[in-house]
Amino acid sequence: MILLQNSGEPIYRQIADQLKEDILTGKLKQGEYLPSIRSLAKDLKISVITTMKAYELLEAEGLVCAAQGKGFLVNAQDSEMLKEQHIRRVESSLLEAISAAKIAGMTDGELEEMLRTLLTMEDV
Amino acid sequence: MESVIEVIDLKKRFKGFTLDIPELKIPKGFATALIGENGAGKTTLLNCIAGVRLNYKGHIRYFEKWQDEERDREENGVREQIGYVGSGLYFLPQWDIGQIEKLSGLLFQNFHPERYRELCRELAIVSGETSGKKVSELSDGNRMKLMLAAVFARDTSLLALDEPASPLDPVMRERLCEMIREYLDQGNGERSVLFSTHNISDMENVTDYAVIVEQGRVAEQGFVEDLKEKYVLVKGETSAVEAARPALYSISESRYGFEGLCLSENLDRLAGLSVSLERPSLFQISVAVMKRNSQIKRGNKA
Repeated sequence: MILLQNSGEPIYRQIADQLKEDILTGKLKQGEYLPSIRSLAKDLKISVITTMKAYELLEAEGLVCAAQGKGFLVNAQDSEMLKEQHIRRVESSLLEAISAAKIAGMTDGELEEMLRTLLTMEDV
Repeated sequence: MESVIEVIDLKKRFKGFTLDIPELKIPKGFATALIGENGAGKTTLLNCIAGVRLNYKGHIRYFEKWQDEERDREENGVREQIGYVGSGLYFLPQWDIGQIEKLSGLLFQNFHPERYRELCRELAIVSGETSGKKVSELSDGNRMKLMLAAVFARDTSLLALDEPASPLDPVMRERLCEMIREYLDQGNGERSVLFSTHNISDMENVTDYAVIVEQGRVAEQGFVEDLKEKYVLVKGETSAVEAARPALYSISESRYGFEGLCLSENLDRLAGLSVSLERPSLFQISVAVMKRNSQIKRGNKA
C-alpha cells in the first residue's frame, strides 16, 4: 500500500480506496478479515483513528462489515454491483480522456480513431 | 466509546493559575495527545491522572472501575497498570542503569528485566554492556530513553508520558511513535497512551485523540480525524480578507494574502469569495485554538 502525505487526498481515503481495489479485484475475498485497525496502523506508521476511519468508510459503502470484537470482514460482493463499479471507473477514465482531448484540440473523430487503434493493440 | 480515564470536576489551584476541568474522558484503546502552551496545565493534569500529584479537588476514575481513593490501594493494582514518565528526572543522578533495573523489579511486579536490557541496548542508551553507567553521565535524550525503557519494560494498560518527544532526536521520535503503535497493537484495544507534547507535527501520525489545554481549561478536544473535518484551512488573496474575516475562526495575514481556519459549519459564509480550501493538519488546528484562546484571555479581539 502506498500512502502519499501531500497529495491533498486524506490518508484514510487513500487506504479505503486501495482496500476497495483489492476487494473489487478479488485480492481480498469474501469472508476474509481485514488486518486489525491497530496492526494496520502500526505497519503503515499512521494513527489508529485514521485506519479506523478508512474501515468505517468501507463499511458505509457496504464492502465490509464489522464483526463485534473480531474486526472487519469482507462482504459477499454482488457480481452486478462489482460490474457496476467497474463500469463507473471506465466511464470516469473516459471522461478524463475526453477533457484532455479537448484541451489538446482533438476532434471527436480523432479521439474515436485513437480509441479504435488502442483497442487493436495487444496487451492493453 | 469506553474511556480509560474519566476526570470529573478536577480543580487544582496555584498562585495565579487554576486548572479547572469539569469533565474529560480519555478514550480507551487509543493514543491521546495533550497539547497546549507552556504553563497551560498539561503537566499538572498529567501528574494528577498518573497519581503523582495527589493534592487536587475532584475525581479521577480509572479503567471505568476505580476511583482515585482506590488507586493507591495496592490490592487494586491500579498503579501497576500505569506507566509514568515525567519531565523532571525521577531517577536519582547517582543511580546506574543496573540499579534502576533492580529497583524497578522491586517496585513493580510486571517489570521484565530482560526486556529492559534489550530496550537499553536497542535504544542505544549505552554502547556495550556498561550497566554501571550513571544517570548523571547521560545526556537529556539518553535519560528520556532510559525512562522510556523502564516503562516499556512493564506490562501496563496505560502510559502517561510527559513531553516524551522533547529531548529526543528525529530518529528517536520516530522510534517512540513506533513503540507507541506497537504498544497499542499488542494491547488489542485494552491499552491506552496519554502523552503531552509540543512536537505536534512529529507526533501527529500517532495521535488519535487530541486534548488542547489553554489557561487551565480544555479549549478543544476530539478524535483527530473529526477535528480535521470540523475545521477547514482557508487561503486567499488580500482582496478577499475583509469579506472573509467575520467567518474565520483564526487568521494570519501577510503581504500576499491570508490564511486561516474556518469552522466547517461556517463555510457557506465564504460563498462567492475566491479562496482555496484545504484539510488542516493537527498542528495548524492546535496553533489556531491556542492563539485564539490566549487572545480571549488577554482581552484582545480574537
